[in-house]
Amino acid sequence: MTPDVPSPPEVTRRGPLFWVTALIGGAGIAWGVRGLFAHHIDTRPANWAKFFVGGVILHDVVFAPLVLGAGYAVARLVPARARAHVQAGLIVVGCLALFSWPEVRDYARVNHNPTSLPYNYTANLGAVAAAVVVAVVVAAVGGWLLRRRSRPS
Amino acid sequence: MSTLIPRPLEDLVERVTTDPDLPLRQKRFSSALRDPRVAAWLGASLAVLFTICFVTGLFSHIQQHPVSWLPVPARPAGLYRVTQGVHVAAGIASVPVLLAKLWTIWPRVLTFPPFRRVSDVVERVEVLALIGGGVFQVFSGVANIAQWYPWRFSFTVTHFWVAWVAEGAIVAHLGSKWFVTRRSLRRRPRRPALSEIDPALGASAEGSHAGLSRRGFLGTVAAASGVLTFVTVGQTWPLLRRFAVLAPRKPAAQPINRSARNAGVITAATAASYQLAVSGRVARPFTLSLAELRALPTESAELPIACVEGWSYSARWSGVRLRDLLARAGAPGDAAVRVHSLEAHSIYSVSFVNHIQAHDPDTLLATHLDGRLLSLDHGYPLRLIGPDRPGVNQTKWVTRVEVV
Repeated sequence: MTPDVPSPPEVTRRGPLFWVTALIGGAGIAWGVRGLFAHHIDTRPANWAKFFVGGVILHDVVFAPLVLGAGYAVARLVPARARAHVQAGLIVVGCLALFSWPEVRDYARVNHNPTSLPYNYTANLGAVAAAVVVAVVVAAVGGWLLRRRSRPS
Repeated sequence: MSTLIPRPLEDLVERVTTDPDLPLRQKRFSSALRDPRVAAWLGASLAVLFTICFVTGLFSHIQQHPVSWLPVPARPAGLYRVTQGVHVAAGIASVPVLLAKLWTIWPRVLTFPPFRRVSDVVERVEVLALIGGGVFQVFSGVANIAQWYPWRFSFTVTHFWVAWVAEGAIVAHLGSKWFVTRRSLRRRPRRPALSEIDPALGASAEGSHAGLSRRGFLGTVAAASGVLTFVTVGQTWPLLRRFAVLAPRKPAAQPINRSARNAGVITAATAASYQLAVSGRVARPFTLSLAELRALPTESAELPIACVEGWSYSARWSGVRLRDLLARAGAPGDAAVRVHSLEAHSIYSVSFVNHIQAHDPDTLLATHLDGRLLSLDHGYPLRLIGPDRPGVNQTKWVTRVEVV
């Protein structure tokens, strides 16, 4: 990779465009919030607010530090030449695991719908993750062979 | 910082927070991936995916909450199948993009002081709406398609209104980041790698910074989105059906969303006294027993059933044309109808069929699915099936057609 120097500071230009879009976007946000309160019987504002704010807090306090910790561990424990591939594999498998979490946990079983969640999601997640690992290893070995071949003798 | 704050606390704040006027890459956040160009690419991708979800979501909303000034057409028959399939697929594809974007801009979350100017306050509110709205929409959407409901609010109503919050925040964020995004996405001549200029220094620097490059990181996020799409989109796109191993439904098994048992209709639907009534704004209201209904001329149509949860399948439906029943009752030519189910106490026990769809030759009150008598879970003895309609509006266990 190309070693890099820090980027220059972001230019803070908050001219008419900033305020016009803030006004239009703010109107959209206000319309949404109005709807959430106007339909309070369906939206149960206290309950959705718990999930709305809870999602941000869960990300910022639990998820982000976990990812930062994982990144730190990879940087310390994985040899430099394999690091990029390990990071790529972890990102893809992590996203797959996060998405399929409700399926693996089979939360839908309480609905008594025989056609819902028809697969063995633990096994399928394992199979897809294994395929991702194989793809990463193939990419790593292929890249290494290519670099070796192109290296001047 | 004020001298009133104890020194150790001041040090701690200095160590864990970031400066809002410095670049993303600052202090302990030394990764080259904390880069405006990476943030710009991820932000632009997310804006496109969320806007696709917003537009297709609006179409789904109009389908379920009809407005008289914008009647939904009956053709193309598979339109809703495509729009809702795209809605869910774009939502799933946005999972890695959203997480990567949040990771990249994480130093901005730790900004201290939170604001220095009035415009900073505006931007903070807009970013809170964007992060909160984005995380809420993606989480609730993914949970909903897996039929996991850890909340007490109505998913469809809340998801719809939070979509306005998230989309409004995208518009505002677009304006606040327009210049930095445009500058970041502009093609720049490639800078030579340090190793090309000084091999020894380059090797040393690469050793300490090894890991994904910016391009590699963006490629990985794209790959994660691609893999997630690949293993789920077969629930609506037949071509990739065999690869949909993490999809919540299996279209080949002709899934349903609400069983007869859960709807509490088994006794009423199997009763010998079952009747279909056609009433309302008609000249000759009438009722039909099941035997009389089966004696009527039937038609067949190949139509998709497309769920709001993104899964769909096409099947051959047979039954009585709705427009034939309306003609028999002497309903006016511009008549729209409400179709009532035996199911009580459900927001989907009545569905509206506008005048275009009601008079479409393929809109049926079906008794058979793929040549077999409907099963109870599929709506026995009679269900509505029409072109370009969401599955929840293809009312099952039909007992009354009310002309309005």
